[in-house]
Amino acid sequence: MNRYFREISVTVALGLVLLVMAGFAPGFYQAQPLLSLITREAPTLVVMCGMALIIISRQIDISVGSQFSVCSIGAGLLAARGWPLVAVLPAAMMMGAAFGAFNGWLIAGLRLPSIVVTLATMVMLRQGLNLLQQGAFVNLPDGVQWFGLSQTVGQWTLVAAALSLLLACGLFMRHVAAGRWVYAVGTDAEAARLAGIRPHWVTFLVFVFVGALTGLAATMNLVQSPQIQPLVGSGLELKVIAAVVVGGVAISGGRGNVWGAFAGLLLLACVSPALTHLHVEAYWEKAIQGMIILLAVVADGLRQRGLKGGHG
Amino acid sequence: MNHHVSRFLLSATLLFAGLPAVFAAEAKLMIAMMPKSKGNAYFISCKHGADRAAKELGFELLFDGPTDSNAAKQNEIVENWITLGVDVITVAAENKQGISTALRKAQKQGIKVITFDADALPDARSFFVNQATPQGIASGLMDEAARLCGAEGEFAIISATLTAGNQREWLKYIDQRLAEKYPKMKLVAVRPCDDLKDKAQSEATALMSANPGLKLLMAICSPGVPGAAEAVKQAGKTGQVKVIGLGLPSENRRYVHEGVTDSVMLWKTEDLGYLTIYAAAAVARDELKPGATSFKAGSLGTFEIKGDNILLGQPFIFNRSNIDQFDF
Amino acid sequence: MIAANNQPSWRRFLLRYETLLLAVLVIEWLIFYHYGTSTNRRGHLVGFGTLDRQFDILRHSCEIGLLALALTPVILTAGIDLSVGSLLGLCAIVFGKLWHDGGLSIPLAAALTLVVGAMGGGLNAGLITALRLPPLIVTLGTYSLFRGLAEAITQGAVTYTDFPSGFLFLGQERWNGLPMQAWLFLLMAVLVWILVHRTTWGRSFRVIGFSPEGARYAGLPVERRVSIVYILAGIIAALAALIYTARLGQAKADAGTGYELFAITAVVLGGTSIFGGRGSVTGTLLGVAAIAVLKNGLACLPVVIRLNAAEEISGLLTGALLLVALTGNAVPTFLNYLRARRQAR
Repeated sequence: MNRYFREISVTVALGLVLLVMAGFAPGFYQAQPLLSLITREAPTLVVMCGMALIIISRQIDISVGSQFSVCSIGAGLLAARGWPLVAVLPAAMMMGAAFGAFNGWLIAGLRLPSIVVTLATMVMLRQGLNLLQQGAFVNLPDGVQWFGLSQTVGQWTLVAAALSLLLACGLFMRHVAAGRWVYAVGTDAEAARLAGIRPHWVTFLVFVFVGALTGLAATMNLVQSPQIQPLVGSGLELKVIAAVVVGGVAISGGRGNVWGAFAGLLLLACVSPALTHLHVEAYWEKAIQGMIILLAVVADGLRQRGLKGGHG
Repeated sequence: MNHHVSRFLLSATLLFAGLPAVFAAEAKLMIAMMPKSKGNAYFISCKHGADRAAKELGFELLFDGPTDSNAAKQNEIVENWITLGVDVITVAAENKQGISTALRKAQKQGIKVITFDADALPDARSFFVNQATPQGIASGLMDEAARLCGAEGEFAIISATLTAGNQREWLKYIDQRLAEKYPKMKLVAVRPCDDLKDKAQSEATALMSANPGLKLLMAICSPGVPGAAEAVKQAGKTGQVKVIGLGLPSENRRYVHEGVTDSVMLWKTEDLGYLTIYAAAAVARDELKPGATSFKAGSLGTFEIKGDNILLGQPFIFNRSNIDQFDF
Repeated sequence: MIAANNQPSWRRFLLRYETLLLAVLVIEWLIFYHYGTSTNRRGHLVGFGTLDRQFDILRHSCEIGLLALALTPVILTAGIDLSVGSLLGLCAIVFGKLWHDGGLSIPLAAALTLVVGAMGGGLNAGLITALRLPPLIVTLGTYSLFRGLAEAITQGAVTYTDFPSGFLFLGQERWNGLPMQAWLFLLMAVLVWILVHRTTWGRSFRVIGFSPEGARYAGLPVERRVSIVYILAGIIAALAALIYTARLGQAKADAGTGYELFAITAVVLGGTSIFGGRGSVTGTLLGVAAIAVLKNGLACLPVVIRLNAAEEISGLLTGALLLVALTGNAVPTFLNYLRARRQAR
């Protein structure tokens, strides 16, 4: 069977949803609202790229949502003090990279399990932010939104930036040696070490990378509205992990790619607006999200089982 | 910022050095105030008023609450205050029954209890500072919506979460008002935004494209109003789809000036906080007793008391003409 | 590890992680007892040292404690269950609906709720064992699904209240000196302890956690054993739902939101390895206690109360405690690793 079964099946599922929408709710395809919705998902896509790398390298990071909040508020406060965006962006990325480096040091340096380390940093970052900001909005000066450009140009810039990053990640993971190292470490860290790769450095750098991407994503979110809320990004970690997994990246590492994850993200991001367009009541939404995740993995499980011909 | 840092360092020092805590007896009266959720702009503005009142009266004010409208956590915080032995506890109750047990316990220890914003059971507090009934809020919003739409057409609501108690109550009375007075208006959808401004924006965008005839978006949680306004602005439907909701001037000023948001309804929350603290002080000094029919609160003047409800007055509607007079 | 085996048993006892954790707990408790108990401004003895407060702590920790107990065998088998908090919510709603709308008696509704919990756990178990799917992903899916079903059943709107006082007794009253739910918690703790530490099943959990393939070659019915662990977790989550409903007097679709993270934190703090194979029920109980005492003890310190940030500070310190414990726990492994590497060269 095709080795890209998962990626293809998710894309087919996404295609089906889009077809259903075309049939029953053509209003879904109006250009402007669609562009706005896609722009809203652009920062998520950036974080998702990082998460895909983390999971491929057989780790997990559940602190990205809290990192995103702290970077957003940090960047927002800097912008509110009159820093230009060209300075805010690297500052936010440095902040994110620093959080990533802390996670990476504990995980790769001290060999602690990533799920627990990032659970702890998730709680600490979130509560630290609550302590300092007490939930208050940060109002941004004029000229921050859409980089001071017109709305359409700003939206296209963000979408283009996110898509180029996706493309860069996709190509990097497939064609650059360092990208293959991530797969090697995720498949078998010991074998990777024997092959001359330094697995702990790879892990560390992947965490730093996802932190920097989170800072970038926070800035991309910042420029979409004239104010920023400290709660921003809560629940982001589950959203991107679900997208990555639905898109066929194996949680056991070493398998999958950012393209599948991208399809997974689009599929999950479609659910809420699709339900609104089909006039389904909001209280079904979480159950349907859960069903999609389960169906995606069950399909994969059944296929694997079929392949092994009953040996389990 | 410095203030926060020093606060944090202070706590850390005291915790780790294990210094005997600085709770030497003080003559200052201590009033504790609990919002339903601490980060909510609505309650932050309450706190501004409360701070002002506490300063005028020379009281110490504690202001703490759950970060996420959690009934169980409210009880825990009341327990903490009983521990500290504050003089008065003022609470905006998330869950009437749930909080009352803890409040009665406080009363047993001689702590005075009053409620504001949302009441507990009557026997668990002495007064309720009543800013507006849920019916009042719902009718106010619904009437404003009808006025803007000419009493006909489709509208949609953005709420905080599906399960939040106050949201359910407001929705119930909005439905009621709608059925009674505005048969030509149609509520097409209620979408939760989890108190996230960004999610409110996505929901509003989808609502507008799914319902081309939509004439108005009503957000009944404070992050929802700027979220919906941003969506309308990005869709280029300013004026065509009206936005109203419950929120704060500071979070909506920009959109009101741009004409995206038509009106934001709010009680003068700052006054609510101010009045609550004055009432708390008066109760603590035994100056305000059951049976009183009026009450004078500092610079705000005299308020009517009905039964054991101190009435703040009608909710207030902010629009382009008056929003700049308020800086919270 | 090997070195420790040659030492006399008392030294081995002292070096055990659980002993260290117990010491931390005792010190924590004494600090809070000292600084958190006071005669307050109103002349009442209040705070951490009062019996009332201790019972409150016990009462508040029972639900998370139960979930942590449920998760201990799961994590021992190198699995994880993110759905227990959502399942708690679903079970609370099912219980409320069966009693309120279905007109069933409380005992019958409670029994059926336990069955629903078992079915929820069974769904996880089925997907994980029959299809060999990773537990993290399966339970991430059911985490959404169970909460979503709870919201769909109530349409988000319904809150079941006005339960009879005979039922509320379970969550709000004392029986023979202790809060009622503490007895249930103790009972479950003993049962899970026996299961994990005194039966061959319990040993097989650890074997599976160390190496599922090895366990299979050794002839263990791996699938069946793993299933049992998740079904048990479901039943315990349902029990926690009953206690939660009785304590707050209401069943609502958001019950238990976020509890899974607290429970996982407690289990890991208790020394159970997230990779499976190593850990104990005693450790979990100590972990639950350490977190509960930290959280509630901080809330009794007048300084912290005056900062208006008891929740944030306890969150920060819990996270820090978890990192310190992990680091401490990992030091011997890390040293072994370095030694092995040096020898390999």
